[in-house]
Amino acid sequence: MWQLGDHSLTSRLLIGSAQYPSPTTMVEALRASQAEVVTVSLRRQQPDTDAGRRFWDLIRDTGLRVLPNTAGCRTAKEAITIARMARELFETNWIKLEVIGDDYTLQPDTLELCQAAATLVEDGFEVLPYTTEDLVVARKLVDAGCRVLMPWAAPIGSGQGPLNPYALRTLRDRFPDIPLICDAGLGRPSHAAMVMEMGFDAVLINSAVALADDPVVMAQAFAAAVNAGRYAFEAGLMTTREMAVPSTPVLGTPFWHANPVT
Amino acid sequence: MSASLGIAGAGLAGRLLGLEMAERGWQVTLFDQDTPDGIHSTTYAGAGMLAPGCELEKAETDIARYGLQSLPLWKALLARYGRSVYHAFTGSLVVAHPQDQRELQQLQRKVEQRATTPDVVQTVTADALAKLEPSLANRFRTGLYFPVEAHIDNRAWLAALREALVARHVTWHASSPVERVEPHRVITPQGASHTFDWAVDCRGLGARTQLSTLRGVRGELLYLHAPEVSLNRPVRLMHPRYPIYIVPRPDNVYLVGATAIESDDLGAVTVRSVLELLSAAYSVHSGFAEARVLETVAHCRPAFPDNKPRLLYADGVMHINGLYRHGFLIAPALIQFARHFLETGTPMDGAEPIMEAYAA
Repeated sequence: MWQLGDHSLTSRLLIGSAQYPSPTTMVEALRASQAEVVTVSLRRQQPDTDAGRRFWDLIRDTGLRVLPNTAGCRTAKEAITIARMARELFETNWIKLEVIGDDYTLQPDTLELCQAAATLVEDGFEVLPYTTEDLVVARKLVDAGCRVLMPWAAPIGSGQGPLNPYALRTLRDRFPDIPLICDAGLGRPSHAAMVMEMGFDAVLINSAVALADDPVVMAQAFAAAVNAGRYAFEAGLMTTREMAVPSTPVLGTPFWHANPVT
Repeated sequence: MSASLGIAGAGLAGRLLGLEMAERGWQVTLFDQDTPDGIHSTTYAGAGMLAPGCELEKAETDIARYGLQSLPLWKALLARYGRSVYHAFTGSLVVAHPQDQRELQQLQRKVEQRATTPDVVQTVTADALAKLEPSLANRFRTGLYFPVEAHIDNRAWLAALREALVARHVTWHASSPVERVEPHRVITPQGASHTFDWAVDCRGLGARTQLSTLRGVRGELLYLHAPEVSLNRPVRLMHPRYPIYIVPRPDNVYLVGATAIESDDLGAVTVRSVLELLSAAYSVHSGFAEARVLETVAHCRPAFPDNKPRLLYADGVMHINGLYRHGFLIAPALIQFARHFLETGTPMDGAEPIMEAYAA
């Protein structure tokens, strides 16, 4: 069990609801992932018209906890408006806060993000900010009242895997008590296992499952990888050893035949 | 005495079925909420692409198979009813910008994996691409060519079908919405009931009065007049965010589409969608810069949750619904299935994946 906001969760995999071949496949993949939280966008559905209701109902019917997101917003103001609409539509104070600064990479605009986060926290939201691996931005988000951080591994939908593992490890070390969810850029189950081994609390996956040839089986693959990574973290990984240069005498080799220790 | 058939919905499926059965001596009556020009139908809003290969990116193998089966049927239909309707069996081309080459590879891999026939897709070099589409020469280094695909002027085709139906003295209740389609009966507002040997539901989202799982998937497209651009076939641009197609019509008119948004909204095209569509079109050919925007189109594709069409049947009634984005692609094959069922009372071989008996 782990704690996300005021809720205890068992699964450490959060899943997205975009880009599946069909809603039926999406629902099957959601189930197969055993995720307890699903993120949903509403910006493009013109939420004030309620025109996306049928699709949202399909997601609600899964019984998963809905984490609405502000995908597609480019300013703090837009994101705040969408967050407030999402709160009414989905009756939740959770919001995955995305404020995009670059349309191609979907890199977050961290300045607008911090601003929006502060306003929304004050407004009573549980803000889950989608951010880069930047340590200082992470600090400012926490200062603004975010109780969770969602750093990217790589640009959304790129499937590149962790591009800066060093910075992700730094976040883990510097924020030992803040739940860290790796959001975006994970393309393979092994990527998910890798960040979980670092001690991330959870991962959020969308494209890697939705765009797989068989999203349902891929959802299972990610579920297994997230578990594997978490177990590995809890079990404690052995340290790697430098074996290329023998540093201790090998049994059966007279010490005068062994290479000198350097 | 000849058998009678009542059809609810005069979009592509309703008109094709009406014509097919009228040719076989059935007495056909059409009901449609629209006027006979059909300008509010999804058929009128679509792009008229026959792309059984490209669609394998997202659609299931059955859809592609019905699409391939439909190609020769389309040739026959066009020869018979649509001699003046613009159409071209010139294949289609898929391109991507250098930084998005992997999108092409992914498409090719998915298509080859799911295709049931060989040679659905070919990789083309810059030279071959320049021969196919001279106006794209030096703009793309490589592409994918789907040789058997085709496109049809959907609007002209709707008009041609109307003419053919009128010539065969089909009864047409225009501006006449349908509430329900029941065994042997089409019910119009105020409970007015019209009785037939068979009643067939070919409505789009209107069928939600009975088929509650139908949903709308909003699509937006633009009509452009681009005298500086000359394309012989549909060109798709693969892009991680804004995949588009550009479909030619006569006289340098192009359709640029289409968005796919999980929404029932029938409102006007949004700025964001226009920006996406036009930016992507401009990146394919700079000649679109001075093109004129003739028209913007927004409509909702009717779809079941698995995005597969259905042919539901019971004694005296049939529903042909949820054609999603595959209306032109598969309608002729579906109409064959429907005709076979109306004549024999048994499902046709090969129709199993989409035909289902239901309790009316």
